[in-house]
Amino acid sequence: MLRTTLAGLRLHKGRLVTTALAIALGVMFVAGTLVFTDTLRASYSAQVMGSAERMDAVALPEGESERPLPPGLLEEIRDLPEIDRAEGMVRAEAPLLDPDGRAVGTLPTLAVSVGDPSRYTAAQGELPDADDEAALATSTAETAGYAIGDTAEVLDADGERHTVTITGLVDFGVDPQVGYQGAVVLTPEAASRVTGVEGFAEIDAVAAEGVSAEEAVAAVDAVAGSGTEVITGRTLGERLADRAGVEADSMATALLLFAVVSVVVAAIVIQNTFAILVAQRRREMALLRCVGARRGQVFASVVLEALVVGLAASALGVLAGIALAAVGFRVGGEALDAGTGAAPLVLTPTAVLVSLAVGTLTTLVAAALPARRATFTPPLAALRDSDVATGLDRRTGWLRTGAGAVLLGASALLVSYAVATPSGQQGLVVVALAGILAFIGVVVWSPLLVRLAVAALAPLLRLLGASGALAADNARRNPRRAATAMVALTVGATLISGYSVINASMQATTDDMLDRQFPFDYQLSAQLDGEGTGTVPAEVTAELRDSPAVGSVIADRSAFPEAEGRPAGYRVATYRGADLGRDLESEMVAGDLSDVGPGRAAVDEEVAAGRGIGDTITVETSRGERDFEIAAIVPTSSQLWGVTLVPRDFAAAFPEITEDSTVLVTGAEDAEPREVRAAVDAALADHPTVQVVSMSDMRAQFDGVLAAAFLAIMAMLGLAVVIAVFGIANTLALSVLERTRESALLRALGLRRGQLRVMLALEAVVLCLTGALVGVALGVFFGWAAGVAVLRGLIFQLPTGQIAAFLAIAVAAGLLASVLPARRAARASITAAMAGR
Amino acid sequence: MSEYAAAAAPQPSPAPPVVAARDLTKVYGGAGSTVRALDEVSVSFSRGAFTAIMGPSGSGKSTLMHCLAGLDTVTSGTVHLGDTEITRLKDRELTLLRRDRIGFVFQSFNLLPMLTAEQNILLPARIARRRTDPARLARIVEVVGLGKRLHHLPSALSGGQQQRVAVARALLGDPEVVYADEPTGNLDSRSGAEVLGFLRDSARELGQTVVMVTHDPVAAAYADRVVFLRDGRLVDEVYGPTAETVLDRLVKLES
Ligand SMILES: Nc1ncnc2c1ncn2[C@@H]1O[C@H](COP(=O)(O)OP(=O)(O)O)[C@@H](O)[C@H]1O
Ligand SMILES: [Mg+2]
Repeated sequence: MLRTTLAGLRLHKGRLVTTALAIALGVMFVAGTLVFTDTLRASYSAQVMGSAERMDAVALPEGESERPLPPGLLEEIRDLPEIDRAEGMVRAEAPLLDPDGRAVGTLPTLAVSVGDPSRYTAAQGELPDADDEAALATSTAETAGYAIGDTAEVLDADGERHTVTITGLVDFGVDPQVGYQGAVVLTPEAASRVTGVEGFAEIDAVAAEGVSAEEAVAAVDAVAGSGTEVITGRTLGERLADRAGVEADSMATALLLFAVVSVVVAAIVIQNTFAILVAQRRREMALLRCVGARRGQVFASVVLEALVVGLAASALGVLAGIALAAVGFRVGGEALDAGTGAAPLVLTPTAVLVSLAVGTLTTLVAAALPARRATFTPPLAALRDSDVATGLDRRTGWLRTGAGAVLLGASALLVSYAVATPSGQQGLVVVALAGILAFIGVVVWSPLLVRLAVAALAPLLRLLGASGALAADNARRNPRRAATAMVALTVGATLISGYSVINASMQATTDDMLDRQFPFDYQLSAQLDGEGTGTVPAEVTAELRDSPAVGSVIADRSAFPEAEGRPAGYRVATYRGADLGRDLESEMVAGDLSDVGPGRAAVDEEVAAGRGIGDTITVETSRGERDFEIAAIVPTSSQLWGVTLVPRDFAAAFPEITEDSTVLVTGAEDAEPREVRAAVDAALADHPTVQVVSMSDMRAQFDGVLAAAFLAIMAMLGLAVVIAVFGIANTLALSVLERTRESALLRALGLRRGQLRVMLALEAVVLCLTGALVGVALGVFFGWAAGVAVLRGLIFQLPTGQIAAFLAIAVAAGLLASVLPARRAARASITAAMAGR
Repeated sequence: MSEYAAAAAPQPSPAPPVVAARDLTKVYGGAGSTVRALDEVSVSFSRGAFTAIMGPSGSGKSTLMHCLAGLDTVTSGTVHLGDTEITRLKDRELTLLRRDRIGFVFQSFNLLPMLTAEQNILLPARIARRRTDPARLARIVEVVGLGKRLHHLPSALSGGQQQRVAVARALLGDPEVVYADEPTGNLDSRSGAEVLGFLRDSARELGQTVVMVTHDPVAAAYADRVVFLRDGRLVDEVYGPTAETVLDRLVKLES
């Protein structure tokens, strides 16, 4: 039996090439992800291990406490005979100014000190060794626009500027804090002077000659008081590596999610290929049964074939995945803080075995059903001439129709429930469940859908002449086969169009929100300090109010009151310079914002806690509890969340708050945008840490984030589409093979080669277009449902351009898929084909 | 050679030839093993004549027919259909020629399985975007006796019915010549007789030129003339054949 199978494989290897490619692509994604993230993890840990292992003992504040280690401890450690040298690391905020004199980033940069020893080394240039020198984190230098040799300014705790020369760049690897805030590397003296911090975030020590790391740790531990943790450099390295590994893990999870989509699509393609092959080899199987093969042997022969193909294709996929990972790491490694991409690829046996197993098992599972069907071939089939009868199954059972209807109905019910009761995360789960049900329903209905689609497209196709008419007939002659090929494409199409809808709707919603709720030109805010708050100096607001180029200035002040020493859990705010309900709007639950006045407040739903308009609410203030009448209720998600008072009430309640947290600036009617910008810059000249965001920047930033995510997700879903197109090409190629004599007959009757090619191209286009259309319908519907279920007030936006582009791609893919099969069909010799040679 | 000489007596030529082959040679295969399937065959077919090509298996009957019909290229020699020298035509021109001027009936697999009998009959016209004369269609369908079965798929038709559909299709376009390659090879004798009778009638009554390949003496007896092939050469010819005379010649040929 084995020999028969292998001989059969050799004979039919052409028919399995595209299937093998489908498997290989899926496996490539899996293997690529695993190898890439393994390499990322390894290079992260190499970075941190390398830097930490140079230390023998490291003292850290215990637990999560940020309390610095006292400077005295460093002296004591240095005096220990077991210790050769030790240095304290200062790590505290010190805003770096960019070349325009504005503070870099929404959070102040960190000042980090390096001495001897230090865990950090310069990736380029040198570490600072004078107080007027500094190195920058590579990413910080890039965002701020600094290079080695430039001079830069750093603000100290009093806001005084210090000028430093940049001597080098430091790769911090995966240090989330440095990632968010950026870092300036200074000498220990400069660091403590600039930050004004007296102690250290870490003390690094190197043991004396002949002293082990453990002995050094014990010695340091003896002098360190409670609240200090002393560990070896290796332990610290492992800890940091673990933390970095978590980042790599979450990236692996995200990527694998997409890989699963590709593998599922590949499975559908494989299932279809084997189903077709089994159907085509009916007589062969029947002959085997005639000469005495048992059912089990027929089953085994198909499964064996799947095993061989699955293994070979998976091996190919693993190789391709390794190549993909190598390219990915070279291109993306630096962006992920994994260094310059020179790290060697990490190939673990697990990654290779898992990828091989995924590919092989998927193939086996997908081939099992067709293999089972093969065992039902009656031996008599060998004797029947099935030339004419093959593959004409136009019936659709009632069972099929009914089951599909039930599934789709259930899905519709779930969606209507989720949409009617928006509830965030849970709603998303319900919609996802409904999506899966609907997809199964579509799979069940797919032969029906193919026939409907072909019937709808047929008049159009007939306009294209004989080729078109024949294509329509061919497309529906074997609806189940066509349907499976189509469904493979539908998976990708659904996800892509669903995501496009969500993306477009989010974009429309944020645009609308920015337009309605932030109709301003600039927003000014303080760089956040340690507590996550900060204020814009009052003189900035005053200067802006006086500027002729500025039309309106709305400044908000907010307080987070406490009750009995614990946060009351809401914010109390006021908007000076704003006419509530006119300059500042919000979604409303009840009442009217313009009714807010002395003694009357706007509150959000949560604060209202069931109270209505006109009821009294008691608010904690720094002058004790005060009562207000509720004039308006807004949703908790509103920008006017918490309690909103008029300025006079706010000043009475929180007299200590005299500065603004954000300032919203609108240019005067007749002012040029340039003049407004100049006015803002002038007001902020002496306040480098105040952050300025222009609304157009903010919009571009939102759009940029959405667009980047869109591209990345499209690229990953795109692979699923590519695999599906392979599947369609494969189905077509196998059909063409099956129809060699038909093609020859058509050619004998006068169909030109070109017409034959057009016929096959149209058949593929019909399949692709149907798959894409069904996917778009599902995607748009579930994209909308998911959006509405999760985000209340989502503005539905149909990305018509993207969907049109996607359909155009589907048509092009169909044409492409038909190229090789059509070439083959058109080239075949008529006489040889007619003679069955 | 002696038999050939006997058959080469002057023959009546009722009409100018529709198809004429001259010194037709067809060699299969490349270097090493070559098969001379046709060896300098010269033959012509008159308008309205029903000719059978006979010969033992492998004698080159199908090859001759394919070359005459422009389905295959020749190694040397010429074939004329009317005034057209088809051996000089390119693939595209040959395709149009087959479409517009030639009808085909094959031994098996004549019909497209997804088209009904009627759609199969109309297929060449549809490919050519030709209008069909409904009266002609109705008449042919009636003569072939398919009336009730027109809207059936081929899988619902018997072998004889399928071949009759193929014949109707070949005749519908009023081609200059109809080629039939063993049209009754897969049929029982009664269905075969129906199809053959039908081919003969179309030659006699419609003036249709028919060239049929067969190895069955009974089938050949329906023709007006039988030509014999052996080893790729034209070796004999009989006018007004009966099954006995044909069988007689065949036995001589193979001895
Ligand atoms: N495509 C081909 N390639 C090689 N040899 C061929 C081909 N077609 C036919 N032949 C050979 O040419 C000879 C004549 O074949 P054919 O015309 O089919 O004979 P017939 O139809 O009389 O049985 C045979 O020897 C056959 O093997
Ligand atoms: Mg033959």
